[in-house]
Amino acid sequence: MSSHEPATGLRLTFLAVVVGIMFLALFSRLWFLQVLAGERYEALAESNRVRPVVIEAPRGRILDRAGQELVKNRPALTVSGDRRVLLDGAGNPRSDQAEEVLANLEVVLDMSREDIVERLTSRKYSPFRPIPIKEDVESDVVLFINEHREHFRGVVTDTLPVRTYPEGTTAAHVLGYVREIAPEELEQRTELGYKLGDLFGVAGLEATYEDWLRGEHGLKTYEVNANNVVQRALGNDPPVRGNDLRTTLDLDLQQDVERILLDGLRASRDEIHRASGSNLKSQAGSVVVLDPRNGEVLAMASYPTYDPSVFVGGLAQKDFEYVFDPENAHHKPALNRTIQGEYAPGSTFKIATGLGALRSGQITPHTTVSCPPVWGWGVRNWNRYHEGQLDLSRALMRSCDTFFYELVYNHWLKEEQQEADGEEIDEIYQETARRFGFDAPLGIDLPDEKSGRIPDREWKQAYWEQTKDRSCARAEEAAPGTYARQLYSELCNEGFVWRGGDAVNMSIGQGEVLVTPLQVAASFMAVANGGTVWTPHLGREVVSPEGEVIWTYEPTPTSEVPFEPEWLTEIREGLEDVVMEPRGTAHGAFVRGERPFPLDEITVAGKTGTAEVRGKLPSAWFASYAPADDPRYVVVVSVEEGGGGSQTGAPIARRILEAAFDLPITPFENQLPAATD
Amino acid sequence: MDVGYHQDRNDRMLRQRVQDQWMDAYAPLRHLDPSLVLLALALSAIGVVMIYSAKLHALELDGLPTDLYSSRQLISLAIGVAAMVVAALFDYRYVRAYSVLIYLGAIAALVLVLTPFGVSVNGQQAWVSLGGFQFQPAEFGKVAVIIGMAAVLHERREQPGFVTVVLSLLVAAIPLGLIMLQPDLGSATVFVWIAFIMLLAAGIKARYLLVLGALGIAGIVAVVQLGLLQEHQLARLTAFIDPTEDVALEEVRYNSEQSMIAIGSGQLDGKGLFNGTQTSLSYVPENHTDFIFTVAGEELGFVGASVILGLFLLLLWRCLRIAALAKDHFGMLLAAGTVGMIVFQVFVNVGMAVGIMPVIGIPLPFISFGGTSLIATFILIGLLLNVHMRRF
Repeated sequence: MSSHEPATGLRLTFLAVVVGIMFLALFSRLWFLQVLAGERYEALAESNRVRPVVIEAPRGRILDRAGQELVKNRPALTVSGDRRVLLDGAGNPRSDQAEEVLANLEVVLDMSREDIVERLTSRKYSPFRPIPIKEDVESDVVLFINEHREHFRGVVTDTLPVRTYPEGTTAAHVLGYVREIAPEELEQRTELGYKLGDLFGVAGLEATYEDWLRGEHGLKTYEVNANNVVQRALGNDPPVRGNDLRTTLDLDLQQDVERILLDGLRASRDEIHRASGSNLKSQAGSVVVLDPRNGEVLAMASYPTYDPSVFVGGLAQKDFEYVFDPENAHHKPALNRTIQGEYAPGSTFKIATGLGALRSGQITPHTTVSCPPVWGWGVRNWNRYHEGQLDLSRALMRSCDTFFYELVYNHWLKEEQQEADGEEIDEIYQETARRFGFDAPLGIDLPDEKSGRIPDREWKQAYWEQTKDRSCARAEEAAPGTYARQLYSELCNEGFVWRGGDAVNMSIGQGEVLVTPLQVAASFMAVANGGTVWTPHLGREVVSPEGEVIWTYEPTPTSEVPFEPEWLTEIREGLEDVVMEPRGTAHGAFVRGERPFPLDEITVAGKTGTAEVRGKLPSAWFASYAPADDPRYVVVVSVEEGGGGSQTGAPIARRILEAAFDLPITPFENQLPAATD
Repeated sequence: MDVGYHQDRNDRMLRQRVQDQWMDAYAPLRHLDPSLVLLALALSAIGVVMIYSAKLHALELDGLPTDLYSSRQLISLAIGVAAMVVAALFDYRYVRAYSVLIYLGAIAALVLVLTPFGVSVNGQQAWVSLGGFQFQPAEFGKVAVIIGMAAVLHERREQPGFVTVVLSLLVAAIPLGLIMLQPDLGSATVFVWIAFIMLLAAGIKARYLLVLGALGIAGIVAVVQLGLLQEHQLARLTAFIDPTEDVALEEVRYNSEQSMIAIGSGQLDGKGLFNGTQTSLSYVPENHTDFIFTVAGEELGFVGASVILGLFLLLLWRCLRIAALAKDHFGMLLAAGTVGMIVFQVFVNVGMAVGIMPVIGIPLPFISFGGTSLIATFILIGLLLNVHMRRF
């Protein structure tokens, strides 16, 4: 120190202060990082190191009543990519190598760059797992990628469980389909453990039994290094497979029903509609087979149908256009006509009208009513001959319209009197129809069941309020003195009036009456079993992956039909005569051909229906149950533009009953036009 | 007669003289500062362990011996200790006498690195390969600049004016220029800092320092503006300034983020030696060289990191003490230059690891893997021991 001037000491002190400040800065920063923010960085280090991989749980299977598989899962080969390796934050290739990998993927997966990048950047996938770029890839593509790993860095191949349908299109409408959960559905269901990209049942049984069928995700955790190379497994929480749903469907019968329906539609197209002279179109139809003892749906078919496997891995545009048919070019294959088709029921509705007449006291089972070819203000029966005096069972057998016109019209007059007197109006025909299950969804375990419609004064009032503005405008537009002007003026001013014509039309299942084929089946179930409308259902039991039955369906009634025993006997007798008696409207369909239906062994009761549709050929109906003395099957056939119930409906139902009773199924032949209705 | 007395006295004086000669011969050793040696060795030992931990898992994965790097560092440490002994042995004033030769030798090595003898690593021509050995001339360049500037400032200590400033800056500028040609931005900043600290310690007038500071800032702006920096160097700097900017900086930012995650996740007492996940799973790149501090931060926690910084503080204190005790200007300047170099490298290196400094490649003295840096630092420690021993 002696050799330095005092200033040196000062300068070295200054240097010491600089050193002190620098170290103070480092210490403070270390204190912040390690002590104050340490836990946050600890979490970041963990998320670096630990890679959770969600393992998809296979959905439960859907089985028929005997345990045969209708829907199961298969492992689909999937090519997935690691976004963190392939893309930077802006969605561009992270490196030259990533660029090369993406170019290779374009070739082997036959996808555009935009599609690949879109999949990789999609927010529906967790960034913690490889993101599926393409599902259901050919095995040789997967093999190629795995043999050339150096050209596919950041790409992994994997298997994901996807839905598969071993029986093809069988019961497509009943089974429904799954797709990736939509954001709005996810919002409602995050608490249930759903996440983006999860499969979600949106139609059919897949939707109704979603909570049972879906499994629980598994979670594997790995330790990975900076290059995303797995070092070791940390944890494994295996996925839990969804529960199996055992349905009431009988696979063999379902397949027979679908084939018979299709054959029957095709065969009927060779036939002529007598009234119009044109060929029957029979472009769409449906069949319901129920067990009347408990409401179990044994078969349910709707045509046209679709292949549910087109939904696997996302619906392609052309498949969307076919299945959902926005252009109305394919008769809406997605529609399950048994519960979503609403039609006029035609004469199948006469069981409800008949019971209404009995309940109203207008007739007893022994009362006869005249059946003229023309009634009242010129309304015609379908038959040109006078059928004489008929009781209810005869009227059902001959499907005499005028019989029911007379009764319903007389009751309408009474209702008018009640209205005029300010008394309570007794709409007993409509009330009876509702007891059969019409005018409301039956509550089958399928989504989007339609309610149909039984018109009454209240409905007419509401409908008028909805439509009167349009009717009034139309009346203004129409030229004075024309029929249109008169009609619309009436609808505009008095459209709320429940007219006799409305009541008369309703009595034979025409006019404003709308029903679903399932509702018709439910009404015949009530006749068959003596009065109970069991809720039709498809789910029978839910079986856990361990094979334990964890839920069983208990049959529940939707409603009770108030039959007196002698009323029931009268209606049953009429329905049996329709098939059993040579003059019955469906007898021909059952005895025609080399091998008639063995009606002496298996009695069949049924009712034909031919429902007029404005601008179209009539809908054909046949509703039946068998054996008539101890009913085990209710079969309802409905065919759009199928002509007549006896012409198109009954032949299909006959063959379905043949299938149900294990009889040889009579092939369809080019039949002569039968007696109609 | 007083012969007996005189004889006795002469004998005594003779004995005394012999004794004094012996005493003189070994005097410096008696004034050794053992704490400086111990601190340097302690930091180096920690460095070897940190290097071993940093590369343990990665080397295992590659099927290489796990002590591949640490054993090489140990050999360098042995050479460094030997170099320290040599540097302490002869009176440091000889170093001043030979300062021109030493300086020119370092310049020659820096030129050599730019010739085909130089080896390029990561886009930097920073290595010279001679006879199977590789070394980084820039590290020796730091030693040479400290010696060279100390010599110039010592000679001209009576005229601390403009000429002296220019001369001593020239001493620093020549190697700095050569290093910029490699280019090695990190080392270049060390030279600037060393020059600044030594001018400060030498007693240059404050106004010159202010002007120099202004020129320095203007120079940095010019370098950036004129595109003298390569893109990746610029990117590193701007990534620090604006971490949201989204260009090819992601890699630099990734390094910085991972480094902070490693250190932060160490928390108070660390994850335990060899247990750092960021370290063993290679999340922090270059964690045996520029980012070595992350290993300490993650595995030893705040406590361990503070111990290391504390050891550095003690070492710097010993160096400053030597500067204060030095018997001449040259010795004082050697010590001040060494303090400047070490404190700057510690601050920038650790600051980079904790995210308060830009990512520029500067080794952490004694600890980072790299033989040249270790040996050069031990040479400086040896010189300081020398100054301390011969302070009377």
